[in-house]
Amino acid sequence: MTQKITIGPFSPELEESVYFKLEADEERTITHVEIINGFIHRGMESLVTKKNFMQNLILTERVCSLCSNNHPFTYALAVEKIAGIKVPMRAEALRVIADEVKRVASDLFNLSMLTHLAHNHELMRDTMNTREHMQDLKEIIWGNRMDMSANLLSGTKYDLDERKIKLILETLDIVEPKLRDLQERYETDEQLRKKTVGVGVLPKEDALEIGVTGPVARGSGINNDVRVKAPYSLYAYRPKLRPKVTLREEGDVHARAMARFGDILEAVRIIRDVVADMPEGDTYVEKRPHIPAGEAVVRTEAPRGELIYYLKTDGSQKPVRMRWKVPTFTNWEALKVMILGDKVDNVTMILNSIDPCISCTER
Amino acid sequence: MSKVVPKVFRINTGSCNGCDVEFVAAAFVDKFHIATSDVEFVDDVKDANLLVITGPLTARSESFLKNALTKLKKPFTVVGVGTCSVSCGIFRDSYAINGPLDKFVDVDVNVAGCPPRPESIAEGIAKGIKVLEQKLSGEVTPKTIDTIFSDFSAPASFRGRMDLNPDMCTGCRTCETVCPSTAIKIEENEEGFIHNIWHNSCCYCGNCAYFCPTGAIFSTNSFDTVKLQNEKFSDVNVANIPFEECSCCGEKYMPPSRGLLGKSYVHDDVNKLNTNICSKCRKEANFKRMYA
Amino acid sequence: MKIEEFNNAIKTKIAGGYLFREDKDNYGNLSAWITLQDKKDIETIAKTVKAYKGRCVVATGYKNEDKEGHTVIYHFDIDGTLINVELFTENETIVSITPILPSANWAERELREMYAVEPIGHPNKDRLFLDYSIAKGVLNEYISLSKMQLGVSDTDILWNNVKKECKV
Ligand code: SF4
Ligand code: SF4
Ligand code: SF4
Repeated sequence: MTQKITIGPFSPELEESVYFKLEADEERTITHVEIINGFIHRGMESLVTKKNFMQNLILTERVCSLCSNNHPFTYALAVEKIAGIKVPMRAEALRVIADEVKRVASDLFNLSMLTHLAHNHELMRDTMNTREHMQDLKEIIWGNRMDMSANLLSGTKYDLDERKIKLILETLDIVEPKLRDLQERYETDEQLRKKTVGVGVLPKEDALEIGVTGPVARGSGINNDVRVKAPYSLYAYRPKLRPKVTLREEGDVHARAMARFGDILEAVRIIRDVVADMPEGDTYVEKRPHIPAGEAVVRTEAPRGELIYYLKTDGSQKPVRMRWKVPTFTNWEALKVMILGDKVDNVTMILNSIDPCISCTER
Repeated sequence: MSKVVPKVFRINTGSCNGCDVEFVAAAFVDKFHIATSDVEFVDDVKDANLLVITGPLTARSESFLKNALTKLKKPFTVVGVGTCSVSCGIFRDSYAINGPLDKFVDVDVNVAGCPPRPESIAEGIAKGIKVLEQKLSGEVTPKTIDTIFSDFSAPASFRGRMDLNPDMCTGCRTCETVCPSTAIKIEENEEGFIHNIWHNSCCYCGNCAYFCPTGAIFSTNSFDTVKLQNEKFSDVNVANIPFEECSCCGEKYMPPSRGLLGKSYVHDDVNKLNTNICSKCRKEANFKRMYA
Repeated sequence: MKIEEFNNAIKTKIAGGYLFREDKDNYGNLSAWITLQDKKDIETIAKTVKAYKGRCVVATGYKNEDKEGHTVIYHFDIDGTLINVELFTENETIVSITPILPSANWAERELREMYAVEPIGHPNKDRLFLDYSIAKGVLNEYISLSKMQLGVSDTDILWNNVKKECKV
């Protein structure tokens, strides 16, 4: 007998609103998936054309608060491409630091949710508490725990002095051993393995076909990290900075979690490398640069994978057209492969394993 | 007063997820007090008596929210978390936005911030509980509630409520132009400019302070943004920036930033240097001095 | 993969002809810009991208200001190299490439609901993000026809309340 099951759109197990209509057999194995989207669609591609370039520095940050730094960063890269602005080296370094700090916090939040959904409360609390160190750091240096407001067209709004660099290093000294300990526990914890190994499998061929990116791709053995494949900002100038990504072949929920641990630890290494060798000089070229008519496509690696911005301008104060594609936009289709044939009780955990950013996706 | 067990349910109506992530922090990290108090997080909206609602209410969320509301038993309390739940904030006037929330549900407590700190979210929930207790004991309009968690503090660099130093401001409107969520309105009358900052529309981004040429507008580290619904429209920072009357021609004019002049001419007597002359008359006077 | 190689691969197959241009970003990453004369040739492009194990990253659309119709730009990736392919449509239809490259699925559905450009042959008919209370093609309006044009925006209404209630 087929049973119909719905999940959402409002549920404590769903960070963001989405609506699942499932069909399952007697064993609660899923035979049909339908996912209804659009709850977070805010019409942002229309809004960005009604706001000027300075306002859009902040609006793009509100696409999503988890990868909030990547949006203004990538938007700024698009503007700079059109205006032919070369960003000072110090600003490139500052942008990378802000980005990698965000990556650590974002990935840790996803892992907390994983252990929460796997009912492993001890691991969840320890992960959340480790993340709190990064949150405190963001609040002290950038003024907010989520939205850093770090970027400016042609550079950054913020700078780091000796005292702040010391604070970053001290925080990393506290966090790094905790991260290694967590990594070990996530790898070996029997309860977690039971819930996640072999669950929500995305075979490599499907991953390639669907075009997934980020840790979802890396969990299925594919490396398309933009920092490696098409390096930008300081990653372009300093090849040693580029991450040595963790690839896993299993393609399951557990593999994706472990790929994220690889990203986190590399982020810590990258931040250390950058602050150890900070370029001197200005942090921006011009506070309010003139933006001529033009067209640009640029990419960066957000915590969830490839982020791409298309921008078209006509010399006025506002964009004519701006479009962006976030990792979840393509990773989402992989969900159907992962969920079909798996158990109903695993659905929210599988969803979480692609680290869905619905606000990013639906805009 | 009757004791109640607060049963919390969160509804996301299209948030950027910042508020929801911080809600999770507030709910699970001990230092924010909620995790260690007797608040219950329920799995089904029908069991809740305290709704936490985030987001600007997208078109698609509307019917689902309305439906969820019919399942609740009265009395219940609604806490709107995040600037965009209070006023749609930065997303206002988009075709896909049907909010703000109070068009569809009686909101009791508003927590502005973008996102608010978990400390503020915890405070919002705690105030929501107080309102619920008042409702249970028959109170119709909620009575003022003092700050509940007084032990929270914020680092000096926290981007909190905006403030303005009228002595520095010249009414140049830069802040109004760069503000992404129309939280600033500058009006003009015969007396001068009136500079308004509406905290419930502010996304605490600091853009205004960053681009302000005189440093007149600045963020404080105050996170006192948890307010009852009846304060929604009155939580505004209003400052008068008066014109001066030209001692020469009698015209009203806006002098350059008084505060800044004091800084750049420390050795001069600012008042004498700038004795109430409009720029037109000063030019004429200078011209005469040089060529007459 | 070299961009030149891709260009050679499509050279003889594109029936309608095309313009080809190479571009470099501020960090030296090369990308290709291809403008198709005939929109149908996008199928050939998609097949070539597939042969190189590439993917469709996303597609951008906009309504042309100077002439009738829409511009659609597909963005493809082959092992880290971006290939942007531009085409025009005068009658609000394009050939769907989703049957060839499944990674184009959502991008084409968005073209349909945001610009009312129909990807013919697309396997999915449902709305993706846009609620049914909003007419499709919403981004075709340069100024949103909704609330704004009725004369009062939500911003006006809310600020009026502020003025009323804030006594100084
Ligand atoms: S108030 Fe700000 S942080 Fe919260 S959901 Fe809205 S935009 Fe995001
Ligand atoms: S606060 Fe600053 S930016 Fe705003 S009007 Fe005054 S001087 Fe200009
Ligand atoms: S901080 Fe300033 S610019 Fe940003 S929303 Fe508030 S008033 Fe506007």
